Amino acid sequence: MTRFVSCFLPLVFPIIVIAQVDHPSDSPRLEQLEQVVLTGQLTPESVEKSVVEVKVITRNTIDRQAGNTLADVLNTTLNLNITPNTSTGKSGISLFGLDGQYFKVLIDNVPIINEEGIGSNTDLTLINLDDVERIEIVEGAMGVQYGSNAVSGVINVITKKSSKNRSEVLAYLQEETIGNEYEFFNRGRHIQSLRLGHNFTDKIYANATFTRNKFAGFFNNRMGENYDQNDGLRGHEWLPKTQQNLKAVLSFKEEHFAVFYRFDYLCETIEKYNDIVNPNENPSTDTQDPLSLDEIYNNNRFYHHFNANGKLFKYLVYNVSVSYQEQIKNLKQYTYRIRPQQEENVLEGEYQGRTAFFSRGTLSNLLKSKKISLQAGYEITNEKGFGSSLAVVIDPEENQVTQSLNSYDGFVSSEVHLGSKFSLRPGMRISFSNLFDTQFIGSLSAKQSFGDNWELRAVAGSANRTPNYDELYTFFVDVNHDVQGNPNLNPEQGVSTFLHLKKRSALSEGRFRLKNKISLNYLGLTDRIELIVSQQIPLTFKYNNIDSYKAVGVFSENEIFYKNFKGQLGASMQGVSKVLDNRKDSDEDFLFNFQLNANLGYTIPKWHATFSLFFKHIGTQQQFVEKINADGQQEFQRGTTNPYSWMDATVNTSFFKESVTLTVGSRNLFNVTSVNTTAFEGGAHNGPPSQIPLGYGRSYFMKLAYNLNI
Amino acid sequence: MRVNRFISYIFFSFFLLNLTSCSKDDTTIPSDPFVVAFEDLSANLGTIGRTMEIPLVFSTTAAQNGSFTLSISSINATYGEDFTTIPAANRNEITFSINSGTEGTSFVFNKLNQNLDETSQILFTISQIDYEASNIQGNASYTISNSASLGKAIAPELGGPNEGNQIYIDLSTEAETIVKRDSWDLGFYSGGDFRVGINGSIYMAAASLESTNIDEITEADVIDLQPQVAIGTFDPNNAIYVDNPNGDILGTAVEEISITESENKVYLLNLGYEVGTDTPDSGSVAVAGDARGWKKIRILREGDDYLLQYADLNDTSHQEVRISKNTDYNFTFFSFHTNTVVAVEPEAPKWDIVFTVFTNVIDGAGSYGFSDGVLHNGKSGVQAYEVTTDLFSYESFSLNNISTSSFGDDQRAIGSNWRDVFDGVPFFDRFYIVKDSNDTIYKIKFLALANDNGERGYPEFEYQLLE
Repeated sequence: MTRFVSCFLPLVFPIIVIAQVDHPSDSPRLEQLEQVVLTGQLTPESVEKSVVEVKVITRNTIDRQAGNTLADVLNTTLNLNITPNTSTGKSGISLFGLDGQYFKVLIDNVPIINEEGIGSNTDLTLINLDDVERIEIVEGAMGVQYGSNAVSGVINVITKKSSKNRSEVLAYLQEETIGNEYEFFNRGRHIQSLRLGHNFTDKIYANATFTRNKFAGFFNNRMGENYDQNDGLRGHEWLPKTQQNLKAVLSFKEEHFAVFYRFDYLCETIEKYNDIVNPNENPSTDTQDPLSLDEIYNNNRFYHHFNANGKLFKYLVYNVSVSYQEQIKNLKQYTYRIRPQQEENVLEGEYQGRTAFFSRGTLSNLLKSKKISLQAGYEITNEKGFGSSLAVVIDPEENQVTQSLNSYDGFVSSEVHLGSKFSLRPGMRISFSNLFDTQFIGSLSAKQSFGDNWELRAVAGSANRTPNYDELYTFFVDVNHDVQGNPNLNPEQGVSTFLHLKKRSALSEGRFRLKNKISLNYLGLTDRIELIVSQQIPLTFKYNNIDSYKAVGVFSENEIFYKNFKGQLGASMQGVSKVLDNRKDSDEDFLFNFQLNANLGYTIPKWHATFSLFFKHIGTQQQFVEKINADGQQEFQRGTTNPYSWMDATVNTSFFKESVTLTVGSRNLFNVTSVNTTAFEGGAHNGPPSQIPLGYGRSYFMKLAYNLNI
Repeated sequence: MRVNRFISYIFFSFFLLNLTSCSKDDTTIPSDPFVVAFEDLSANLGTIGRTMEIPLVFSTTAAQNGSFTLSISSINATYGEDFTTIPAANRNEITFSINSGTEGTSFVFNKLNQNLDETSQILFTISQIDYEASNIQGNASYTISNSASLGKAIAPELGGPNEGNQIYIDLSTEAETIVKRDSWDLGFYSGGDFRVGINGSIYMAAASLESTNIDEITEADVIDLQPQVAIGTFDPNNAIYVDNPNGDILGTAVEEISITESENKVYLLNLGYEVGTDTPDSGSVAVAGDARGWKKIRILREGDDYLLQYADLNDTSHQEVRISKNTDYNFTFFSFHTNTVVAVEPEAPKWDIVFTVFTNVIDGAGSYGFSDGVLHNGKSGVQAYEVTTDLFSYESFSLNNISTSSFGDDQRAIGSNWRDVFDGVPFFDRFYIVKDSNDTIYKIKFLALANDNGERGYPEFEYQLLE
């Protein structure tokens, strides 16, 4: 209970009120009629009309998967790979071979903070989905709309801001095994959530959601905290963590005017029990008093978002968001005397953190024309970050590195309708910042409708990635080493082009419907930042803008609806080529990876039950690695990571007039824990890892939800 | 509606139970028995003077009251005539109380007869402990005699993460000699060869120049060479600029000092680094501080002595010092800081191992600075080798298990092999056998690399006589 209190003590502050506009959708059924999306749009637009290709994960899909965080539901999404880091407890994202630094996560169109970035580098396990209406995903560079680091794509999490009911209560309990580990308290995953919503008047709505998600860690033969042998078994394979999340929204809506204020507080505790046990032998008495050096990370995130939107002069559409966010990660280090279970020499301090003021505003329909809609907008980000010497390798005499990055961007987008079938969508952004040269970002998209429900979209965009703190500030200089960051780095430049061909068909008088899509993609990066040898004697390393990167691919996504059956099937082939200008004899060949995914649902209305299957196969992944061959020569070899598959199966059913919903299922049916790999290079002091941890094996869950609508 | 109310009641009761229940892993771990033991194993009759306090330690702070009994036995020494104790023995036994809250106790040994010789031996043994869950183990007896030390646990004062000290240890006498590792620059060998070593503990390096005229060398002559004459450049060829890390006197960076004056070249000398003063992150070291600069030197022979010429790089004149060999020591040490000969090592046969920062050479990467080093005194005939615990446990290893052919001369037999820098602890799967210059053999086990808080530079080891 103490941790609960410590989490919520800082929450004493006034809550401001306000409101919102949105398209209410409380659809528990499988099918979505006209899906409206926000991401990359001038004004909210239907998926079909959108020039940009937007994928949507609906609330219904989230519920069928019993997904609690973004990491839970994206596992089986085509092209996106989730990469858990068992030693930090985070889950990152990789898309087109690029990690989370190139990908932006937004909540209601506003980038969400984490200790390493604003929108980028997001730990997906920190994005709770309990008050989420849908998730929108756009692949490709979206720099004009969303600024820096939206290189490989964006995820926009749209929260719920209205309800049909006067009052509603939603509470649920979710119990999950971690692999085959489960106990009522000390093993497994335990989630409790409570949401209260109320329409105070027909214009004012508010809701509040509290969720607690306790993950007891994946032991996998490890022995946890209170274990005193130095045989590598102390601690956990995956770190235990507890998240508590409080969210609230207040919205006001009338014709032509809507405002909302949304608040989100997250407190996360990660426990890292060292596997190294110092026996601390007393040579005189031949007894031991085992010690271990343990670490507890505590993450606190605050998010405030105020949004106003509406119409001026009956045609100008405005939308202004103002957001203040902070995330501070604290670290407690201590010596743990294992047998008496005592903490000693406790050191507490700030580990890494960020605060940001963010504002974006747009004014649309500037030309008052049906043919040409013009939008002008601004975006301001005042970001302040710090990393302690424990988080970033810096001169130990400097306690921490701090940085302020202020960017002031202006952008213009237009949508031109030439005839009823062709639309063009040019856009550009200019970005001024205190650290980097002025950046110009452009985009151009086009949509052509053909007869017989054929659609062709071409989407080209650019975006850059700003250098991270390691790249800018690393300072590791001693007698034997000289590795330094480079404060003069420029952002990496990314460009992407997508071509999507779509066809909708209806057979048997609409009972059998199909949506088919095939897409070609290209993504290029230049000025890529790499650590290079800047001097041979003495050997000196420095980060520099030097390399380039290309990803090309083809993928197809298809949907089938037939009676009570709905299926999504996808396949993708993606190739990556890296040009490593700093390394001799590097190989620029494209290395390809194949993926398959499927998402099947079948409803039996009589039983109020839906059966679902989520599947993804990730084929062999290859990577060039510099290794020493049999003759003792350095050479580039193709390292491979073995293929693997994910499958989740769930049954979702409701009782008592749908007031109680039970979801049971199994995740990771193929029982994947890790895959073998040769795709890593060894470090200076250790060999390469030969396995990548991916999951904790086949697990089972049960979610019991209670919903009361008045 | 009633059903609904019932469901909600059940649901929320369960919800609250689940939410509020905090749990702590309450596993109990089996722990060691309560032990009373002598802090050390032995003392030397010749060095203890008239009285000596002998400490006894408890394995944990006593949580209750109890008692224990010591038995006294002796050879060629009589209680009451040659020695006594405080508290006094009754029928060769002393009973001590164990008081709750204390961590140990002690008694006083009085040496009445100052002429006890090597035939005398006095033995104290813990014969009984009255305390819950206690056991007699560890240092259960204590010997006072004229023989070599039976062993001890030592925590050399290396100086924390800056590791500013060198600690020379004589195992058989338990003697420690501490010197600042930057207190000397050059060591002039006292053995048969005319050789000069540089101070590897501050990462010095030396390169031979073509010239034999020290006064004509300027910075401009060496400016291209300087980046190479350093530690940690990752250039495999730079091993020639440091003394052979195996300790072979014939492998010094400075060539043999020739009787023929014209064969003795001028050397560019990188003076390495001051002892660091930074406080690094816990678990790391900060051994190197500011660079100490450069000198040019030339060494000649003058009869059986050395003649050292030295100057700053751009000086057009030089200083000269005559340095004699002293065969009681391995080296005669000289410091540019004091411009004099300085005392560093104990006499050659009076040390076995030294704890020090040292310069090593890594295959393919050249010279590389190491911290936490333990080097043995190969120049005086000390030898050592490593034993892994898959072959023998430290406790069971005895004289019969010695593999004579395993003893090596390379002074890095212990070196840095004993410690795991990434985990901040010694490797617990190995121990070492050291044979001193009198052929006395000890086994050595490392207990710590860091202190309880994980700060580096606080090593600890224990050793036991093999007999």
